Order: sequence, then C-alpha cells, then structure tokens
Amino acid sequence: MADTRSLSNETALRDENVLRHVRQLGSARDGLAEWRLQRRTAIALIPLALYFVASMLRLATSDQPTAAAWLASPVPALFTMLFVLTLLTHAVVGLRSFLMDYVHTRARLVAAELLVRGAAVLLAGASVLAVLKLFLGR
Amino acid sequence: MDRPLSPFMFPTWYRFQITSALSILHRLTGIALSLGSIVLAWWLIAVAAGGELFTTTHAVIASPIGLLLLFLWSAAFFYHLCNGVRHLAWDAGYGFEIRQAYLSGYVVLVATAVLTALTWLYVFLA
Repeated sequence: MADTRSLSNETALRDENVLRHVRQLGSARDGLAEWRLQRRTAIALIPLALYFVASMLRLATSDQPTAAAWLASPVPALFTMLFVLTLLTHAVVGLRSFLMDYVHTRARLVAAELLVRGAAVLLAGASVLAVLKLFLGR
Repeated sequence: MDRPLSPFMFPTWYRFQITSALSILHRLTGIALSLGSIVLAWWLIAVAAGGELFTTTHAVIASPIGLLLLFLWSAAFFYHLCNGVRHLAWDAGYGFEIRQAYLSGYVVLVATAVLTALTWLYVFLA
C-alpha cells in the first residue's frame, strides 16, 4: 500500500494543477469541488453530529422549557446551527450523486435536483430561524 | 441510445459481496438520514414554538412508531458515521487491500451494533 500513499501525497493540495492538465479528459464541471465539499462536510460532521446526538440523549425525556433553555445558550445554539447547515450541505451533495446515478431522464433529474435543493434551503432557513428565536429570546 | 444504465450489473451479473452490500447500505442510510433532517427541523421549530405543537411533536416521537424510527435512524447514523470514516481512510490511501477492505467492513458492522446498543441502553437505563 506504500505506492498508493506516496501517489496520494504527491497529488495532495495540487488538484487544481492536475485538473488543468487533464481538462480535455477530465470533468469539465464541478465534480472535484463537490468531491472535496463532500469530504470537508463529512469531517466537520464527525464532531458536530456526535455533539448533537450526545446532547439529544440527555434531552431525550426532557420537557419543552428544558430543551428551549438548552437551545437558547450560546454554545448549543452555535453548534446546532452549524450541525444543521453542514448536515444539509452534505445531504444535498450525497443525494445529488445518488440522483445522477439512478435518474436517467434529463428533465426528471433537473426536477429532482431542484426539489432536493429547495427542500434543503427551506429546512436550513426554518432550523436557523427556530434556534435564533430561542437564542435571541423572542 | 441503448447503452447500459446503472445499476444494470445487479442482480444478474454480480454475485453477492459484503463490500458492495456495505457500499449500497452507505447510500441507503445516507438517504434515510437526509429524510431525518426533516424531523430534526420539525423538532427545532416545535421547541421554538412551544405550546401545543411541542406537546404533539413529543407525543409523536414518544409513540411506538416514533421510537422505532428513532431506533432505525440511530443505527443508520452510527453505520453512516463508521463507514464514512472507512471511506475517508480510503480517500487518504489506506486500506485498499481486499483483505483489509473486508476486515474494515466487518469492523464497521460490529461498531454500528455496539454503538446502537449502548445508545439505547443509556436511553432506557438513564
């Protein structure tokens, strides 16, 4: 496996150079940017998701005032918003790669992508608004 | 144009392999968790709104179907998390040998079962 690792190290952080050289043969769109976005959000989600799930376990049987007080404090408010936004970004990239593999009609693919993106924006906006309402105490 | 379209290799041409099954499971759990984000947003809104919306939401989540969904989502979460780390290791260039890929696959399955079991033990004992 030493070969794979050294190859990986040689190309690390120089994707742009590689892409420029292979433009004729490689992806002409945003494949690489999406690939990196998927990995970056995945890495960010490891601590964010574990923090949120662990917090949910403590809140599992709590009443509304307890949950509201938790979301109104700065650290949970910040990390909950970051978690939701990172989760939805990661979900959109993942769902798109799934749709591109299994939806073979162009019109249906565009419609499905619009639906996924629209739903994600709506959920992100609603979640952030809910947390902000509690954090700002309105 | 009659070119073969994905997933044409299944189930005719490929025999069952744990590695490809785990790969498909990664996608399925990803889709399930994406759907879970709807419930997550709903719960946040319910906490912010309070009153009857929270009472109803709490009742739905605490119902048998709600608990079953939560259990499935927790298993999907731990699987996607562990297998995601496996994918990140591949991206970094580690674990490509067939024996290693099988071993890490079984490790992911065991870790998923253990983490899910510990989570629900905590819920019911705490």
